[in-house]
Amino acid sequence: MDPIFVQGRAPGPRLIGAVNWRGLWTLYLKEVRRFLNVFTQTLMAPVITTLLFLAIFALALGGAGRQAAGVPYIEFLAPGLIMMTMMQNSFANTSSSILIAKVQGNIVDILMPPLSASELTLGIAGGGVTRGLMVGLAAGLAMWIFVPLRVHDPAVLLFHAVNASLMLSLLGMIGGIWAEKFDHIAAVTNFVITPFSFLSGTFYSIERLPETWQVVAHLNPFFYLIDGIRYGFIGRADGVIALGLVVVPAVNALLWLIAHRMFATGYRLKP
Amino acid sequence: MPPPVATTPIPRQFGPVNWRGVYTLYKRETVRFYRYAGETLAGPAVSALMFLAIFHFALGGGEARPGISLAAFIGPGIVMFMMAHGAFEGGSIPIIFHKMEGMITDVISAPLTPLEILAGYVLPATTSAMTVGAVVLALVAVFVDLPVHSLTAIVGFAFAASLLMALLGLVVGIWAERWDGYSAVETFLIAPLGFLSGAFFPVDNLPEAVRWAFHVNPIFQAVEGFRYGFIGQAQTSLVLAASVLSGMSLLLGLVAWRMLAVGYRIKP
Repeated sequence: MDPIFVQGRAPGPRLIGAVNWRGLWTLYLKEVRRFLNVFTQTLMAPVITTLLFLAIFALALGGAGRQAAGVPYIEFLAPGLIMMTMMQNSFANTSSSILIAKVQGNIVDILMPPLSASELTLGIAGGGVTRGLMVGLAAGLAMWIFVPLRVHDPAVLLFHAVNASLMLSLLGMIGGIWAEKFDHIAAVTNFVITPFSFLSGTFYSIERLPETWQVVAHLNPFFYLIDGIRYGFIGRADGVIALGLVVVPAVNALLWLIAHRMFATGYRLKP
Repeated sequence: MPPPVATTPIPRQFGPVNWRGVYTLYKRETVRFYRYAGETLAGPAVSALMFLAIFHFALGGGEARPGISLAAFIGPGIVMFMMAHGAFEGGSIPIIFHKMEGMITDVISAPLTPLEILAGYVLPATTSAMTVGAVVLALVAVFVDLPVHSLTAIVGFAFAASLLMALLGLVVGIWAERWDGYSAVETFLIAPLGFLSGAFFPVDNLPEAVRWAFHVNPIFQAVEGFRYGFIGQAQTSLVLAASVLSGMSLLLGLVAWRMLAVGYRIKP
């Protein structure tokens, strides 16, 4: 018999401490490479769309020194557009990643390895947050060519950028796990995410809304995200920034728990 | 007792045009359109209402031109925007899907001439897009007081624009080998043409050089012609708009027909 079989020892399983760092990193890299592989659709397309919206509103509304919330309208609009595209892309990343994996059956590749529910949540959400931030940065730089963007408070800006990407990544995960067909997630995108990201104050100050709708706006977490990032840029907010600093992380914590629970129990993931 | 004789069914006879074949293709795509009505019909309807709401709150009403409210100006623009987009999707997505899934052989091996295949893809996309237009128009009319100036212009330009965009969709669909190609065309050609078509704002006050760029955009011509049917004014001559739309349709129709005839990216 070949001596290697007599003398050689079978390789032992890799030992993992409290956190499977290598597994987590691999999952994160897979999520990031997934969207970078088709960067025309995942990075350039959102930037072009954002610039088109900017162009339309600049052409339709920019003239005659129109102002919103005390700044030129175009400077009011730009932060909202950046936030809108970040939200839509974070959601698209995690929801499509999970749903495609489920439909094609390769979801087992992430369920089988020794990855805990927390590691799955963190790794996949990390991919969505990365896409959101990259799209936001690219859109911001592209707009900067046309609009004099100034940053009033970088900390507030970064806080809302990260939390918005995280919130929509978690929502996308929950949606992707819940959905069983592409129709389901298309419906959520068309009828929930897109309208909410459009109508939560991206294009207008909510002071323009009727009284009752202003109250409703304050119950909408997306409003705090858009309002918060706009404060980071222009230093003026419709709502109370401190309230947003509480509401947004609270919503994220809740969503994180739900996503974690779904992975832990295998809801619509494991047979 | 004589043994049973196996009879071969004789092939179906048809005249110069295989009407039943064209109708079958037409029906297949139309059924597909209605089966996914949640995305193909309700999606544009929701988007249209969203655009109306945004422009209403962002602009706060007002007039686009003397005597014409901004809503009555933008309303027809939104309808045309949704229709053009729907026609492009309807013309391109099915053929890409059929090519990628290998179902295109069902169409190629059937006794259909290239022109009949072309009709089988383009006509359902055109009528589906006009259905989208009708639904969106009905919804917009709930919120906006729309005058009607010329029904002929409304229907005529709706048809011409849908046909043109469906043909463009078919050419792109035949050309695209994967979804990447389709989405690149959508992002870098269709979206800019649609958004910068004057659908959402009057181009009257733009500088001359920029205005020229709008005028060469066929969707601009379609929007202006269609809008004329409602408000009775256009920034372009209707004859020019109709000629641009039909001329480009003819050209794209020829291209698509040749592509199907030689089997470009369809036959091995």
